[in-house]
Parts: sequence; structure tokens; C-alpha cells
Amino acid sequence: MNSTLQDRRSAREGTRPSPMPAPVARWPRASAATLGIPLAYLAVTAFGTWWIDIRPEALAAGFGDIARLLERMVPPTTGPLPDLLALALETLWIAIAGTGLATLASVFLAAAASRRYTGPRAIQWLARTIIIVTRAVPSLIFAILFVRIFGLGPLAGGLAIAFHSVGMIGKMMADVFEEQDPAPREAIAAVGASRTQNFVSTTLTRALPALASLVLYRLDINIRASAVLGLVGAGGIGVALQTAIGSLNYQRAAGIIAVIVAMLLVLELVSYLVQRAVAEHAGEHTQSQLFRAGRQPASPGWDRARITRTAGAVAAVALFLYSLGQLALNPARLGQAWDNALALLSGFVPPVFTADVALGIFESVIMALTATSFGVAAGLVIAVLSTGHLVRFEPLAVGLRGIVVVLRGIPDIIYALVFVAALGLGPFAGFLALSLSCTALASKFFTDSLQNVDPAPLRALEATGANRLQVFVSGVWPQFVPSFIGNSLFTSDLALRESAVLGIVGAGGIGFLLDESVATLHYQQTAGILIGLIVVVVALESVARWARRKVI
Amino acid sequence: MTATTRRRQVPEPRPMATAPSTGMAETAPPSVVLNGLGMSFSGKHVLRDVDMEVRPGQFVALVGPSGAGKSTLLRLINGSHRPTQGSVSVLGVNPAMCSRKDLQLLRTRVGFVFQQFGLVGRLSALENVLMGALGSLKLPRYGISTYPIALRERAVANLERVGLLDERFQRCDTLSGGQQQRVAIARTLMQEAEIVLADEPVASLDPSASLSVLRTLKKLSAEDGFTVVCSLHQVDLALQISDRVVAVRGGSLIMDTPTAEASEEAIRAIYQQAKDDRS
Ligand SMILES: Nc1ncnc2c1ncn2[C@@H]1O[C@H](COP(=O)(O)OP(=O)(O)OP(=O)(O)O)[C@@H](O)[C@H]1O
Ligand SMILES: [Mg+2]
Repeated sequence: MNSTLQDRRSAREGTRPSPMPAPVARWPRASAATLGIPLAYLAVTAFGTWWIDIRPEALAAGFGDIARLLERMVPPTTGPLPDLLALALETLWIAIAGTGLATLASVFLAAAASRRYTGPRAIQWLARTIIIVTRAVPSLIFAILFVRIFGLGPLAGGLAIAFHSVGMIGKMMADVFEEQDPAPREAIAAVGASRTQNFVSTTLTRALPALASLVLYRLDINIRASAVLGLVGAGGIGVALQTAIGSLNYQRAAGIIAVIVAMLLVLELVSYLVQRAVAEHAGEHTQSQLFRAGRQPASPGWDRARITRTAGAVAAVALFLYSLGQLALNPARLGQAWDNALALLSGFVPPVFTADVALGIFESVIMALTATSFGVAAGLVIAVLSTGHLVRFEPLAVGLRGIVVVLRGIPDIIYALVFVAALGLGPFAGFLALSLSCTALASKFFTDSLQNVDPAPLRALEATGANRLQVFVSGVWPQFVPSFIGNSLFTSDLALRESAVLGIVGAGGIGFLLDESVATLHYQQTAGILIGLIVVVVALESVARWARRKVI
Repeated sequence: MTATTRRRQVPEPRPMATAPSTGMAETAPPSVVLNGLGMSFSGKHVLRDVDMEVRPGQFVALVGPSGAGKSTLLRLINGSHRPTQGSVSVLGVNPAMCSRKDLQLLRTRVGFVFQQFGLVGRLSALENVLMGALGSLKLPRYGISTYPIALRERAVANLERVGLLDERFQRCDTLSGGQQQRVAIARTLMQEAEIVLADEPVASLDPSASLSVLRTLKKLSAEDGFTVVCSLHQVDLALQISDRVVAVRGGSLIMDTPTAEASEEAIRAIYQQAKDDRS
């Protein structure tokens, strides 16, 4: 969503008719940001390359090790297929239940966090804090904490998904609320409606189409996230993967990974189709007559559109309730959960920071930023090769795009799992995993925005007799730069969150210490790690936001 | 001109076509009483020493150049602003002294029509009209079918009264500006308000739609007996529609006469003078 909004914005800005002036005019104006940020990034990358010890020989040796591991993975097996399918379904229920819970909660959160909120300041402040904190803590970390509270199983997973998504959905909803025209709200306040009535009738109704597409987009991400929650015991198909890897059964691990990827790709297709249907339905150009006349003038009649609409809503609610039921909510266990939660929370004070914690967080940041640089570079090459501005070779473009789709289908932590098995513990495995996922992500973003470049200035350049390279440098690149920078920063944002959890499987960074501190009941250290992580994530996010504003 | 002389000029209310629900007689208490009303925003005076009394059933046109304080005056009457001086009494209630609940209650009795309509564009005309009844309901509502059938029937009847029966299931953002303002008026009718305040209700409409929307408002007010205070920029429309013309300039009432005695030139002079003042 972030990326598409950015793309749309940059595409709009890119359509200024003159093809040439952008780089010339831009450099002197925002030189601190435009020079400082890439330089800082290069410095971090250089440092990271040294810290993680990324050398060509190491890479070559690593590829050998990975190839040997892959050999041990063929032929893939799956074990008992019904069991695996049941776990795959459980993954789906976790994602749906978690997304639904997050949606319900985020409506209230967004209403309170939005600038339009007129109630007590303290509540608004609280809502904004919850949004920031839950966005900064990855779902796998929530899962570790909830497994400690609710025990092993999908309940912990569903809640982890819900907690992490609530911040993102809440933030975007609050933005939607803030952008609304205040006139209807004022009009309904003037008829003497209560604040709740007014919120439902004017604010929520108008936000509904945006909310629907936001929820579907988030569901897509959450299905991917729930596929790996089993690695920490929070239910879903990841449990089977964890067992297979734990018993060094690489053939079965490969089979399970294949099932996960297939499942994610199929669900991505389904979600794309649903999103398109919803978007079409909510589009501005739907028919102006919302209902057919019914039997009585005051009751709308039923036509196909209304039946579809109602059936869709009922099905969504039913699906959500059913998935809630599948979370294995056991009242007997809830009493115990309360005690566990109290123990955990009271164990948090006072938080303890150690040099190890600082080092772990530092390593996570370095891994993420270095991998982003490599991923952005590789993604740029792939995007340029697959969009035909420089090279026009259709099979290459199609092949590259297929590879990107599959690469994107595999969650980062699964790459990390495989690389750790092949190369041993440490940040090198994490770096490689992150680089792969950053490459996939960045090439997707870049391909999209390269395709959306305004063709008019390119034609004008071609007409002057410029060759392809000249057209690319003078026509395509200036249009592409803003979205390139925005999407690179967004990629590094996501990478940072991922790199914080890779340590759970031993791939470097703070995740290892976090997992260990919970397992050994060192909750004070857990609290220290969480606080440090939140501060760093929020700080880097603010820097990225500042940079994006400066540069774009 | 002093406050007393001004008040003497207030014309008697016309006999009403139908008795309003409260059963007001000719001697009924005034709908609105403004007493030495003043308003300033962070020290800047926007309204000064305004005295005015509006009789039930009257159609008052509020005219005056931009920035004169017309919107502010209407907002003071509806309790959106608290006066910094003097007092407001609406239907015997002082909105500035009300609790939030009482203000909500008072607002159900006072309709407000906005220049920008304030409709939810993606909903049907009928559902927008139904929202006018929210003040009489406890819970939030979503969707036409969640409103009681009696209210729905009234909503359809009100849409018919503003001439939009066939458009009741149409998305509001696909209606013309004039039609949208009619939906907003039908929404106000749902309140069965005793007073309707209208802030430049036709400023975004073309001249013929403007006249027809105002005529509808006038007709409804005559039928249901509600009082109207309507700010207008078009002098000719004000003279055609209203019973009484009140002119505001620089935050003071500078004219208040029965429409029959008002001269178009005098009012135009007010606008002209405002232009001269500025230049
Ligand atoms: N909330 C506010 N805060 C500060 N100043 C305000 C506020 N509302 C109105 N004003 C000022 O009060 C003055 C009168 O504004 P008002 O909107 O009442 O004028 P108006 O007669 O309705 O003008 P128009 O015909 O342009 O709508 C203006 O100078 C305006 O800037
Ligand atoms: Mg105004």
C-alpha cells in the first residue's frame, strides 16, 4: 500500500513535461539530504560488509555449501499430507482471525488517534503510542511473548498477528479519517446526533471502501507472516517446518517449504482477485442507482448487486467468526494466561540493558541496512532488465518476473533457516536471507514504477534521435528517482523489522537474545530488548520519513 | 438606531397554515432572542452588540458583505460558538449554558442547512435523509434497513416533498447540486425542527436552481410553520423570498425591515459601501 501510494505520487510528480531539468534543479536545492543520505548509506554498507565479513571467497564458499544442502533436499517429501494440510488451514485461520481482530480494534484506535478526535488528550496520546509501538514490534516477537502467556498453539499466533497489524491498519485508518471532508460530520452534529452515531454514519461509512482494501492488503501480508509463526510454537504450518529442520530431515523441510510457497502463491492470487472485485465495486464509476425500488417505497428491493454485497459481507463475518473458533480458545487456560501475563509484565520492571543487547540491536540494524543496499542494487538491475527501457527481450523479462514472484513467495526467515543450516550460525546467513528478500521486494517496486514512467517525454527524446541509453538517462531516470529513493527507504524499513527476528533461527541480530531471554525467564532483559528495538525502529523510521520528504 | 426602535420594526408573524407541533399561537414566545450579543475571536471583534428577536414562523433573510459575521451569527444561534458578550436564547434555551446532552437535544429542534450540503456522497439520498432522525434515536445506525419503518416512511415522504421521490435510492454524489441541497433540506425535515438556520444554502447553485430551492424551503416553512433564518448573498432572492431582511456589516446590524418595506437600492448600497471601505 505504501509503495503504491508513493508510486502514484511520484508518477504524478514525474509527469512534468520537461524531461531534462530534474537532476540539475534538484541537486543544489536539497543537497544535504540528497548527498548525505546516499553517502551515509554507502558508509553503513561498507562498514556492514566488513562487520559481517562479506568477501567474494566467502560468498563463493557459501554458495557451495548452499548447493550441497539443496542436494540433500531432493527429492522433497511432505510426510503425511492430511496433517500438513490441516496445519496449512490453521495458518489461514490464524491470519484471518488476527486480521479481523486487528481491524475491529484499529477502528477505535484510529478514531482516537486521528487529529479529528475531540475527546481527552490522554486517550489520543495512548492510541498514538499503541499504534507506534505495535508497528515497531514484529509479529514473531509478539508470538514469542504470547506463547509464554497462552502456551503453544494458534491462539498465541492469532493474537501476535492481531497486535502487529493493529498499528499499521490503525495508522492508515487515522490518515483516511483525517483526509475526509469535515462537512458531513458537522451537518450530522447539527441534527443532534451523538458522537458515536456521527462517527458511524459519516466517518466510518465514508472510510469503508478504503478500509476494505486495506484489510485485504494486510491479510495478504498476514498469511505470509502466519506461515512462519510455528517456528516459535505459535501454530500453523511453520510447526511442521520447525520439526523437520530440528530433526535434520531436509527432504521433508523442502517439501514443506514447497507447500508453503504454493499456498502463499495461490492465496496471493485469490486475494488479488478479491481485492480487484472490491475495488471495482467501490469505484467511483459504479452505477448511481444503489438499490432497486422495493415493494414498499421505503424499503429498497433486492437486485444482484445488493445480494452480492450482502452475501460478501455475511461470508466475511462468518469466515472471521469461524477462524476465531479455530484459535482453540480454552476458558480454563485463560485463567492461567492472566497469571502468566502478570508474571511477564511484572518481570519487565526494571528493564535491563546490557552491552550484549546493544550489540545485538546494532547487528540487526547493520544486517538490515547492508542487505538493503545489496538488494536495492540487484533489484534495480532486475527491474531495468525486465521493463524494456534499455533491453527489449521479452523472454528475459518474463523469466525475471517469474523468479521475483517465487522469491517473494518465500518468507525471509525460511531463507535464514536454510542458510543457517548450510553455512552455520551468524549474521552472514541473515544477511544473505535479507538480501534475497530485499532484492525481490525492491525489484517489484522498481519494476512497477519504471512501468509507470510517463512515455511522452521519452517519445520526444527519441524523436530528437537519442539512443536508448540517452533516453534512459535523460528521460526515464529523472522521473524514476523520487520513487526509487522512497521505495528503497521503505525496503530498509521492512528489512529492519525482519532482521530483528532472524536471530530466532540463529541468523544473527537481536532475535537470538530476545528468544533466549524469554525462554530462560530473564524478562528484565526482554523488556530492555523490546524498548531498545522500538526506539531504534521508530528513530530510523523517522529518519526515513524525513529523508523521503527532503528528497522527493 | 437603537435596539428598541429596531425591535418595533419587527413585523408580525403571518398566520400559519398548519399549527406546529408545539401549538404556538400568535402570542407565542419568540423563536430566537439575541441580547447585546457580541463575539470576538482571540481579541478580534466579529459581532458587536446585536439585538434581534425572531417570531415563530418568520422567514428572515440575513444579508451583508463577505466577512460581515453572518455565519458567525448563525453558529451562535445553533450553539456551535459561545458568545463572548450578551446572550442567546433559542426556543427559550440558552445554548451557551447547556450541558452537552442538552445542547444535543436543542439541536434536534434546530435544523441547519449548509452551503456545502454535508451529505455522505456514497450513500443513497434516502439514507442521508434518515440521518436527520439520528437525534431521536439512541444507537448508531448503518444502512437503510436499520432505521424503524415509520422513520423510513417519513423520510420517503420528505423526499417527495422536496421533489426527489424517484431519486431516493440514488447515490448522493451523482445528484446535481440543487438536488443535493434538497436532500439536505429533506434531512432537516426529519428533525421536525422548529427553527431552520441556513448558511448561504444556494451559494453553490446556479440562479434558477437557487430560486427553486429557496421556494421549496419557503413552502415547507409555511406548511410546517417553522422559523427560517437564512443568510444570502443575492439581494434579489432575499427580496423575493423573505418576510424580513436583516443586514449585517462589520459585525453590527445596520438594517432590519419587513421585506415589503425594504428597498433594493438601500441593500445594494450596503454591499457597495463595504467595497468602498475595503478600497
Ligand atoms: N473560528 C474563527 N476563528 C477566528 N476568526 C473567525 C472564525 N470564524 C469567523 N472568523 C472571522 O469572523 C469574521 C466573520 O466571519 P463570518 O464567516 O461570520 O462572515 P460571513 O458574513 O459569513 O462571510 P461570508 O459571506 O464570506 O460567508 C471574519 O473576519 C472571519 O475571519
Ligand atoms: Mg459565511
